[in-house]
Amino acid sequence: MSRPTRRPVRITANVIGVIAFLVAVFPVYWMVNSSFLDRNEIRNPVPTWVPFGGSLHNYRTVFETDQFVNALKISVMVTGLTVVFALGFAFVAAVAVSRFRFRGRMSFIVTLLIIQMIPVEGLFISQYKMLEAMDLLNTVVGLTLVYVAGVLPFTIWTLRGFVAGVPYELEEAAMIDGCSRTQAFFKITFPLLAPGLVATGVFGFIQAWNEFTLALVVMTREDQRTLPLWLTTFADVNRGTDWGGIMAGSTLIAIPVVVFFLLVQGRMVSGLTSGAVKG
Amino acid sequence: MTTVEGGKAPRARRTPLPYALLVPATIALVVALGYPLVRQVVLSFQDFGLAQQFGRPPAWIGLQNYRDLLTDPYLWTVTLRTLLFCLVNAAATMLVGVGLALLMQHMSKPIRILVQSGLLLAWAMPVVAAMTVWEWLFDTQYGVINYLLTEIGLDFEGHSWLLQPLSFFFVATVIVVWMSVPFVAFTVYAALTQVSEDMVEAAEIDGASGWQRLRHIVLPSIRPVLLVVALLQVIWDLRVFTQIYILQKAGGSTHDTNLLGTYIYRLGIGSGKFGMAAAVAMFMLVLTVVLTAPYVRAMLKQEEN
Amino acid sequence: MRIKKTIAGAALATLALTALAACGSDSDSDDTSSSDGPKTADIRVWLNGTDTPQDARDWLKTTFEKENPGSTLTIEQQEWDGLVEKLTTSLSSASETPDVVEIGNTQAPTFTSAGAFSDQTGQLDDLGGDDLLQGFVEGATIDGKTYAVPYYAGSKYIFYRKDLFKAAGITAVPTSMDEFIEDAIKLKKANPKPANFSGFWFPGQDWRNGAAFIWDQGGDLATADGDEWSGALESDESIAGLETAQKLFTEASGAAKDGNEADSWTPFCAGEIGMVSAPGWIKGLILDPKTGCPDTYGKEIGVFALPGSDGKPAPVLLGGSDIAIAAKSKNQGLAQKAVALMLSKDYQTIMAKAGLTPALNSLAPLLGDDEFAQATIAAASNAKLTPAAPGWANVEGSRVLEDLFSALAQGGDPADLAKKADDQMNSQLNG
Repeated sequence: MSRPTRRPVRITANVIGVIAFLVAVFPVYWMVNSSFLDRNEIRNPVPTWVPFGGSLHNYRTVFETDQFVNALKISVMVTGLTVVFALGFAFVAAVAVSRFRFRGRMSFIVTLLIIQMIPVEGLFISQYKMLEAMDLLNTVVGLTLVYVAGVLPFTIWTLRGFVAGVPYELEEAAMIDGCSRTQAFFKITFPLLAPGLVATGVFGFIQAWNEFTLALVVMTREDQRTLPLWLTTFADVNRGTDWGGIMAGSTLIAIPVVVFFLLVQGRMVSGLTSGAVKG
Repeated sequence: MTTVEGGKAPRARRTPLPYALLVPATIALVVALGYPLVRQVVLSFQDFGLAQQFGRPPAWIGLQNYRDLLTDPYLWTVTLRTLLFCLVNAAATMLVGVGLALLMQHMSKPIRILVQSGLLLAWAMPVVAAMTVWEWLFDTQYGVINYLLTEIGLDFEGHSWLLQPLSFFFVATVIVVWMSVPFVAFTVYAALTQVSEDMVEAAEIDGASGWQRLRHIVLPSIRPVLLVVALLQVIWDLRVFTQIYILQKAGGSTHDTNLLGTYIYRLGIGSGKFGMAAAVAMFMLVLTVVLTAPYVRAMLKQEEN
Repeated sequence: MRIKKTIAGAALATLALTALAACGSDSDSDDTSSSDGPKTADIRVWLNGTDTPQDARDWLKTTFEKENPGSTLTIEQQEWDGLVEKLTTSLSSASETPDVVEIGNTQAPTFTSAGAFSDQTGQLDDLGGDDLLQGFVEGATIDGKTYAVPYYAGSKYIFYRKDLFKAAGITAVPTSMDEFIEDAIKLKKANPKPANFSGFWFPGQDWRNGAAFIWDQGGDLATADGDEWSGALESDESIAGLETAQKLFTEASGAAKDGNEADSWTPFCAGEIGMVSAPGWIKGLILDPKTGCPDTYGKEIGVFALPGSDGKPAPVLLGGSDIAIAAKSKNQGLAQKAVALMLSKDYQTIMAKAGLTPALNSLAPLLGDDEFAQATIAAASNAKLTPAAPGWANVEGSRVLEDLFSALAQGGDPADLAKKADDQMNSQLNG
């Protein structure tokens, strides 16, 4: 976005931006800070603000066993599959409901919304029974299936908003220029959806990456644990929780999300400036 | 002045294509959610406890669960509390999130990237860690917040933030908003990048002020996304669970701070009354539908025109 | 109108969606084969947390596999956090159920009365008979049948600072409840700084320690009249106990009025605690330089069992674990053999040497004879379990007692609060 902003506006925006950054990041900072401290420094009447003199002790604990790497593998598989399938399924569905008029279209949209409204606190037991019947307990496929269904309604709804945000006239214009309807869609509309795909993709990624309750009951075997389940091994109510281990583990869990975002964030600023639609 | 009329769909044509496009999503939803949903409905008409979970046949009791529930004044207290909490949180989240997204457009590039990475870090933080850290920050004895307030001369030594229900919900709101703003800000910012720059420029040349441009061009073009995000926020804040559940363990009175989400959980897993929990869940679903119906109606109506 | 049609359509679609799915996925397999199952199999044992020492795990695996050629035994590590969710789902599944599970002794009654475990009454004598911790056996027995056996026990006892005792002029550890309360208040008065100093550290939610004061006065949390359970907090004895607790809250404790009892070594190592009731393993945390304070306050630790009004150890809440066999397990015979090994003298000896009160009374001397071992044995000698009401889990699930004690700590009227808690419990105790 290259539109000039007047100086006072820019300065105000920057100041608020810095404040927002500090508020958003402070708890994260506290997590990273704690991950370098010993347990008796983490909780203390006088807070330790910076981890000077801290150690990598907590991180060494994490890598003492192969559990972390194992859980990482499972989480990467489940999350990767969830994002790919959810985005793929949702994308075509969103195109259908926002670019076509057909019988049952509204019903489909409203059904999605109602599904989204169902409270999930009691649902996991039923989902467990279902996966049991399908023989998919303790499998990546089983967990992925419920995750995909979990993020689909949201993803379709949001992507639908993004498709609707691209004026159909643009496609029409391209069609007048001699493109077929499909060509027009992929040349004009699709690039404009990139930010939407990124935003919903990040959402799906984080949902699957951090989900706990379903994974807890579905993945009971040690070699099938996802990262959030692995994290609970540090919280032993009968032996005292290893806070440093939790914070070190959490820091490691957060890193792939940031990496994923950095890989896709360039797509967030494409917008109409990409030049494909001048005229 | 022209406004962008988003998403005018082409005239209906008799083609199976749209149906074909819906097939993958429909199959995934039916397979993964169909049976659990049916079971949820069925359970709400049964006396289903832990013994039934392990194979004892459940008894059908018709509407008994619902009758017990709706005549319990506690349910209505919790419902009212949940509604208020939801409205405050959804409004605060939308305000902060949309505000940030709009401001991001006007920030210098390095600052914008800073804000985006900050939001992303907050979003990416595992829930266990996030809740633990927030618990520590507000801790009665060793909390950083009490420490700082005491340092600047206020009497906050040993102040319990969770003791009074109002203060408890204030802390919960801070945490919920902190956790939800990144999603809103990201999605709305993504939508803003779609807004036609030519149009905004044209308006500027026509002499429209910043506020006018925002109202007549920017907001209408991101309207579809804005509406969805707001609706989702309401739905999610009605269901809020983890934050309340963990804060209740840290302090405060559970009875005075239960919301529908924690109430269902305490009935179900907490007490093994799965039939009853299913009935509350159905009640909550109906509540959500009723609550959002006017909104959804307006949203769909607009689309039809 | 259009909207109405849409909603109707959506409702239909939802129905169709659910109806479709309802076909074919109902699969409550009726596994009522009464045989002992196959001769060889892989036996899956769920152990929670890190209480069971590695030596014990290794011994169990090798011994089981030696004695049952062709079979294997896999120990699957689970966490206490989320255990109820996992047991609720996994124990109901014929294909994924573990064969043997460890379960908290206060969680056990809920699952036994729901039929999640196999009857072990017939094996009880072979497993140790009267030598087994009787409180645990009773807690897992309904209608004369026993569905779980003790695994290990442990009760909280008092850790105190010797230097503070000396400074406050307390020459000997208290030997009665009255002396204990007096000393706790004396300690608090002798240490005006820091403001949150506790003569006896007693955070508001801590009903598990608080129950001891009720029991000591002869009261109870709930009592049964025949099969009908009701709350017993309103009785004169219980209210006397609640008043004791309130006295400690207001005059001896500086802990958060609504806090929980986790992480008690943190305030201990901050020098804010004179006495605290804690599980034995807390010693390890206080004496580890990375978690505690071995060079400062840690040097001054002493321990004793909470004394009762009659001079004997007070009735404190009994903690520990049970072992049970999943009713849905297809390998009942082999699972039984695994349980027998876990209650064998060899295995329980390893447990006792790790500081856990063994399931067999006769092995208790193996705990050693230092003051920690003595306090452990003394505290367990008079310990009590939570009421064996079928709906006790409801009471814990809705946190009635956390709320009660927290309100008590804030200065509420004991009689009013007791009545309120009883009313809530009465609707929950009978399931």
